Amino acid sequence: MLSDFFILMKQELVIMVIIFVLLLLKIGADMSNEKMMNLANGLLLLNLAAGFTGNQPGVLFNEMYVTNPLIVLEKNILNLGTLIISLQSFSWLKKHDHVPEFYVLLLCTLLGMFFMISSGNLILFYIGLELSSIPLATMANFDLAAKRSSEAAMKFIMSSAFASGLLLFGISLLYGATGTLTFSEMTALITGSPLHIFAFVLLLAGFAFKISVVPFHLWTADVYEGAPVAVTSWLSVVSKGSVLFVFVSVLYTVFKPIAGNWYNMLFLLSVVTILIGNLFAIRQNNIKRFLAFSSIAQIGFILVGITGSSQVSSASVVYFVLIYVFSNLAAFGVVALVSAVTGREQVSDYKGFYKTNPVLSWVLTIALFSLAGVPPTAGFFGKFFLLMAGAGKGNYIPITIAALNMILSFYYYLRIVKAVFMDANEQPIERLTIPAYSKLAMFICVAGILITGLAGFVYDYIYALSFGF
Amino acid sequence: MDISQVLFYALSAMALGSAIMVVISRNPVHSVLWLIITFFAISGHYILMNAQFLGIVNLIVYAGAIMVLFLFVIMLMNLNAETEPQKNKWLKLAGVVAGGCLLLVLVAALKQAEVKGKVAMLETGDIGLIRNLGKALFTDFVVPFEISSILFLSAMVGAVVIGKK
Repeated sequence: MLSDFFILMKQELVIMVIIFVLLLLKIGADMSNEKMMNLANGLLLLNLAAGFTGNQPGVLFNEMYVTNPLIVLEKNILNLGTLIISLQSFSWLKKHDHVPEFYVLLLCTLLGMFFMISSGNLILFYIGLELSSIPLATMANFDLAAKRSSEAAMKFIMSSAFASGLLLFGISLLYGATGTLTFSEMTALITGSPLHIFAFVLLLAGFAFKISVVPFHLWTADVYEGAPVAVTSWLSVVSKGSVLFVFVSVLYTVFKPIAGNWYNMLFLLSVVTILIGNLFAIRQNNIKRFLAFSSIAQIGFILVGITGSSQVSSASVVYFVLIYVFSNLAAFGVVALVSAVTGREQVSDYKGFYKTNPVLSWVLTIALFSLAGVPPTAGFFGKFFLLMAGAGKGNYIPITIAALNMILSFYYYLRIVKAVFMDANEQPIERLTIPAYSKLAMFICVAGILITGLAGFVYDYIYALSFGF
Repeated sequence: MDISQVLFYALSAMALGSAIMVVISRNPVHSVLWLIITFFAISGHYILMNAQFLGIVNLIVYAGAIMVLFLFVIMLMNLNAETEPQKNKWLKLAGVVAGGCLLLVLVAALKQAEVKGKVAMLETGDIGLIRNLGKALFTDFVVPFEISSILFLSAMVGAVVIGKK
């Protein structure tokens, strides 16, 4: 029994140990920033490596905690994203006074995500969700001197509190209607009565806030713009990815009996999300706001895939999140470096970027091509599988709209590429020296973008673990 | 109608009435005072459902500590009816329409609700005693209970970082 606990909960326990090691080092040892970050990166690397071995499927604490190979894979994807973000934030964080605290908060949110993904009970799910969003508000405030950073934190905590309120209301209605909090018991009791559907709508609203689906996206751009780049990339990749994983598993297991209802809701939300995300992305001049709206549009494509509700759809969602980790983090890596060294974040600042920084320009371009979905990159395969999964239901109107929107998205992604390569600029960003850690992170991302799409075994592996109905 | 039903309806009327007053009072201090009455009414509901411990904790923590804090903050910020921003007419209309739609949906959903699960035992139950609550917390819900300590730790670290600058 006790050994079960250590084996099944291994990934969470490792993170808890790292949290406390860093916290105690902060209190006890007087380490320089660079030393501390070397240590933290090393521990994160160990954490990633430990995630790949010795995992077993199982259930703990009366179905409170569930783990299986798909969940382990999802946690490993999040671990990878965490490591890349930690490597990228080196040049920003080394000047900061609170390095260990940053890692403690980062790992607390990661721990919350892990429990959320592994939850088999609504209480654990809710605690995990809170643990993954409350420390994030502090992280959004980590540019302690900047006013807009505090503004971002305030907006984030307000909107996430509101979303949690809706979610809790939904959970309490669901508990009142079914009398249980355990997912596996709940499935049999959900019949699709109006109360169940109303509770589901509230839960959906809570989820939609966290992954910024369109009617609930209003916090996204402001928070992304104000927060430090490392936190922005964490919000847009790891935080969203984790909620998406839970969303798919909750929809496909707990709410399976009312699949006909949520299919229509998601189909509508996906079309609106893609359209609004794309139209607003065209207008943005700040590169972080631009990436915020581009991430909203990407979520729309993921929703199209989720509507398919087959094994292919859940596989393609996980696959797309993996690709999204690589491509979005490659783009954010370049933006983070430029922002940390020069403080410039406008799209017009990137004019003539190729003349001074050819390597960074190529990384940015490959990332944007992957986000847009240009064939040799992995992004194309990701979007292709999502749309194919959506088309499995035979509803071709949203698929057509989504495909047309891919063409629209080329315009604004290529606008950045044009600025980087073709536009002349009298004061281009000066030549930047890339720190070794950022180089490593960019190498991982670019390699991921180029390899994940072409190596078929990645998708096959995910497909073998996935489920649908 | 026995005594617990009479109490239930009286408490519900009190909770709803004071909750409406929270929203429509112009003066923020009055809102807070009405909110305290709402919490008292909800504590009464807890006690009716045999959740004595929750009722008392709700009184001490919410009506006592948190509301006093609220009151201090509002008084320090010197908010009053004049400084409150006035919304324009159309925004109010939109709010009424949206809120009305939500109310309609909620009423329609609850009208044909069938409650299948466990029903709280009114006169015999001892689920609300501290002993039973503690047992539930340390057996069935031990994982969420322990994780919430990490949540508090992270909140504390965050508060210290923001406070220190």
